[in-house]
Amino acid sequence: MMTRTLRIFSQRLSVAPQPRWVGCLGLAGSVVVGLAAAGCGSAVVSGPSPDFEVARALRDELGASTSETETADTAPQGIGWATLKGRFVFSGSPGAAIALVVDKDTQVCSKDGMKLYDRSLLVDESTKGLANVVLFLRNSSRVKSEVPTESLLLDQENCEFLAPVFAGRVGQPIDVKNSDPIGHNTNIAGTSFNQLIPAGESTIFTPARETGLPVTVTCNIHPWMKAYAVFREDGYVAVSAADGSFTIPDLPAGEPLEFQVWHERSTGRSGAVSLEQPDLKWNAKGRFKIELKADEVRDLGTLEVPADAIKG
Amino acid sequence: MNMLVSMFEREYVTVTNFAAQAGMMTLPGDLSEPLAMGCRRVRDRRGHVCWLGMAAALLIPLVGAGCGQTAAASYRLNLVESAKQRLRPEQEQQVATILAALFGTPDEPVALAECGLDEAKLKLAAGPVRSDIVGRKNGLYREHCAHCHGVTGDGMGPTAAFLNPYPRDYRPGVFKFKSTERADKPTHADLVMVLRNGLAGSSMPSFALLSDAKIDALAEYVKYLSIRGEVELALMRAFFELDDEDQGRLPDDREFLIDEILLPVVESWQAAEDALIDVPEMPTDIDLADSIAKGRELYHGNKANCVKCHGVTALGDGQVNDYDDWNKVVVQAHTTVQGGLERAGETSTWEMDADEVAEYRAELAWLDRYESVLGGNALPPRTIRPRNLRQGIYRGGMRPLDLYYRIHAGINGAPMPAAKGTVPPEDIWHIVNYIRSLPYDFNGTLGADKPMVARDRL
Amino acid sequence: MKRLVAIFWSLLFLSVPVLGVATFIVGPAYDIWLPRDVSEHGAAVDSLFYFILALTGVVFIVTEVVLFWFIWKYDETRATGPVRYVHGSHTLEVVWTIIPAAVLLFLAIYQMNTWADVKMRRPNMAPTVEVIGRQFEWRLRYPGRDGMLGTPDDLHLVNDLHLPIDEDVLIQLKSMDVLHSFFLPNVRIKQDAVPGMKIPVWFKAREEGVFDIVCAELCGWGHYKMKGRVTFVTRAAFDNWLERKYAEQEATQPDPPDGLAAVGVPQTFQLVTN
Repeated sequence: MMTRTLRIFSQRLSVAPQPRWVGCLGLAGSVVVGLAAAGCGSAVVSGPSPDFEVARALRDELGASTSETETADTAPQGIGWATLKGRFVFSGSPGAAIALVVDKDTQVCSKDGMKLYDRSLLVDESTKGLANVVLFLRNSSRVKSEVPTESLLLDQENCEFLAPVFAGRVGQPIDVKNSDPIGHNTNIAGTSFNQLIPAGESTIFTPARETGLPVTVTCNIHPWMKAYAVFREDGYVAVSAADGSFTIPDLPAGEPLEFQVWHERSTGRSGAVSLEQPDLKWNAKGRFKIELKADEVRDLGTLEVPADAIKG
Repeated sequence: MNMLVSMFEREYVTVTNFAAQAGMMTLPGDLSEPLAMGCRRVRDRRGHVCWLGMAAALLIPLVGAGCGQTAAASYRLNLVESAKQRLRPEQEQQVATILAALFGTPDEPVALAECGLDEAKLKLAAGPVRSDIVGRKNGLYREHCAHCHGVTGDGMGPTAAFLNPYPRDYRPGVFKFKSTERADKPTHADLVMVLRNGLAGSSMPSFALLSDAKIDALAEYVKYLSIRGEVELALMRAFFELDDEDQGRLPDDREFLIDEILLPVVESWQAAEDALIDVPEMPTDIDLADSIAKGRELYHGNKANCVKCHGVTALGDGQVNDYDDWNKVVVQAHTTVQGGLERAGETSTWEMDADEVAEYRAELAWLDRYESVLGGNALPPRTIRPRNLRQGIYRGGMRPLDLYYRIHAGINGAPMPAAKGTVPPEDIWHIVNYIRSLPYDFNGTLGADKPMVARDRL
Repeated sequence: MKRLVAIFWSLLFLSVPVLGVATFIVGPAYDIWLPRDVSEHGAAVDSLFYFILALTGVVFIVTEVVLFWFIWKYDETRATGPVRYVHGSHTLEVVWTIIPAAVLLFLAIYQMNTWADVKMRRPNMAPTVEVIGRQFEWRLRYPGRDGMLGTPDDLHLVNDLHLPIDEDVLIQLKSMDVLHSFFLPNVRIKQDAVPGMKIPVWFKAREEGVFDIVCAELCGWGHYKMKGRVTFVTRAAFDNWLERKYAEQEATQPDPPDGLAAVGVPQTFQLVTN
């Protein structure tokens, strides 16, 4: 088989030599064929294309309808107010505290050998309480009190924000203060608020929209400074204290209430916390539903956050 | 054809000979016989080249490779956001369909009455480059803008990857250089100014040679793309706010789509015209040299803190590892994916039950998709450098007024903070004067006989 | 049949000079000719062009017609006589080497004056404007009132070049990144902008008007659209325009909505002379 092939091919080879340019043309042609066949593949992932029939129908429908002049507010349900409380504990071990890299303004930020530590996972030693878990009510048909006019305080000192997680209410002014002898700027993501705050001064920020989940608060001059802030319209937010406990008073009773839970280091999507509870049903987005009776003080007890629900 | 064939034969023999000698392969002898027969047949009896064969060999692949209509342009979905929100394909399709209903296609844009956009201007700017019935040129956006900013306005056109800084992505609705307060949208005049003057020091050219009507149409189209992008983001984020009863499908009634999603975006654009920064007069009771000296103090001081990022030398080297908002999204996405993959790698499925394994697999699939989206639908993130103030090149314009705007409101989307409220206006003017003197500053004094420093790199 | 084939080929070759001449005659009617010249030295440049065109045109027509004639006369159906093997004519070869060489030498000397005018005899004056080529725009820098480039009172613009007529204009040409070429078709000026070099370009415009600046050296993906605009106006209008543009550059207040530019008191820089 091999010899027969070789013989045939050597016969062909004994043909008179062809001019070189024709061979080059042939080579170029085969290259073109090869490229054309392979095509220019692109790595771009393309999403699904729209359904134009449905789109046209939807557009016609929207064009035909008109907005109601006044959107009817969801009718208030139930009467009375209740309180929700509980305590988050962490059943894993938090690990050693990680020191932050402080490389700017060290005469203030590393004064007297002071070290700043990462505060994303703060667990109380004695009670195992998990601090800085955010719990807020997603929707309510009524609120107990109107937006207060006194301002809350968001302060920074020793080159860190005093509160790792800050809760505010839409429309309530926040006094953003700088108690350091050096200048800072406070950049609240998602709000276009990024303000220079000279040493010892403060400025007012009033959130105009509520945040879906907590947003970051950073300083661009000192990149290690980070905190979180959450702003809600109805103000039913709680941030767990150092021992993991939280209380939300004056919740509307007699209607289904859905709460969202969040922690900075949670493995759930975007920080949502979903726990396994025998009596409380949590969904994948970190939410659970309860209904409270008037004047009830519901204690959810000890909510255990397992080690695998927290990153790292 | 026979030349090609002979050349092929020679190569084939050479390669296979070598391979055979090296003991690497055996010749497929059974194939050689028909091959040789085919080669012989290409030559006719008198040994002439078959020109028709050669022509066919060249033309057929060319024709096959590309004849026929090119597909109509279509908008690209914001896949980075949809991956971040963990949308399923049917949810992505719902978003795409709603956007097609509200905004149409790149060739046929639709502007609902609620948008407040001039549809005639949009039609002038949209679609492929062509002349209309009165000989006016249409398709302005695709002619002038799409190759950098992309057909969807996502800043990822074909040339975008080679540019530094990247072209603007209109979809978050954040614009840097404007005359309004930081959180507000730019006015129409701001967009026209950027088109007319370009952005000095970036790849955005000046379009001053286009007529006013064309620039107007392009600015309107940019607004349209931005409103569309913001509606897209709002729709995608709305999935997280759905209750379980909605079963992962957005409501398609007017109350949700128009009142909750579209109107807030449109209103923010309309409010921009009234949100202009109030610029007080430059103080006249102070000598220019004194103003510059005051500006220098402020620059290095604790009030304005310019030195912390722009550097002691004002060369922009004080802070070099920060990101602007557009790149930050990609960086955070990369971090999420890396972290997720690491955790997934450390998790063992040995002791998981069926549900948990399914969950684990779904998580992995999501991470894979996110990674491929970041690879193909996002530009590699780049840090943002503070401006080198010694060059006298300012992207948003070099008038004292422009510098006042930048310092007062900061730069939206960039780490540059706002000095509004905490640095009084006269002080801002002193800083402006100091900055304008920096390119001509040598050892801290202005002088005609002093050579230029760092400025004249040209 | 064979005769027809020969006629076809010879007519095909005849069509080359015929169409060639026809395009030159018909072109100007469709505005396909040299662009309108508004410069002082342009006439000299154009006359050189015409001279070479005439010379080469004559040679072109003669050679092409001769080619046609040979194909027509000496195809195999007509020229049936025996073939004569000629060794060539040494005289002919010498003649048609010497004559073109002489012509070229003549051209080289004939154009020297024009070349010197445009490229070598720089007027002794300060630059009117500095043009910096950048991908993909022309950045302009006018010296301010102090007449010196590189001082705080310079006027910075992009793509919109204004120049006075009836006086010598000196442009300092630089490049910010890669090779560009500053080409003013209507002034018969073309000069490569070489990075690292400051190249003087000068001319005198004779008429007012608005014309193109184009880039004539491939500089990247945007080379095709690296266009600018040059406007020639009287000296008075030019000074006026400079003042207006400078006031806009020094604006400390936004334009009021009625469109009239309102500028604050321009704190124009005065250089500290100490």
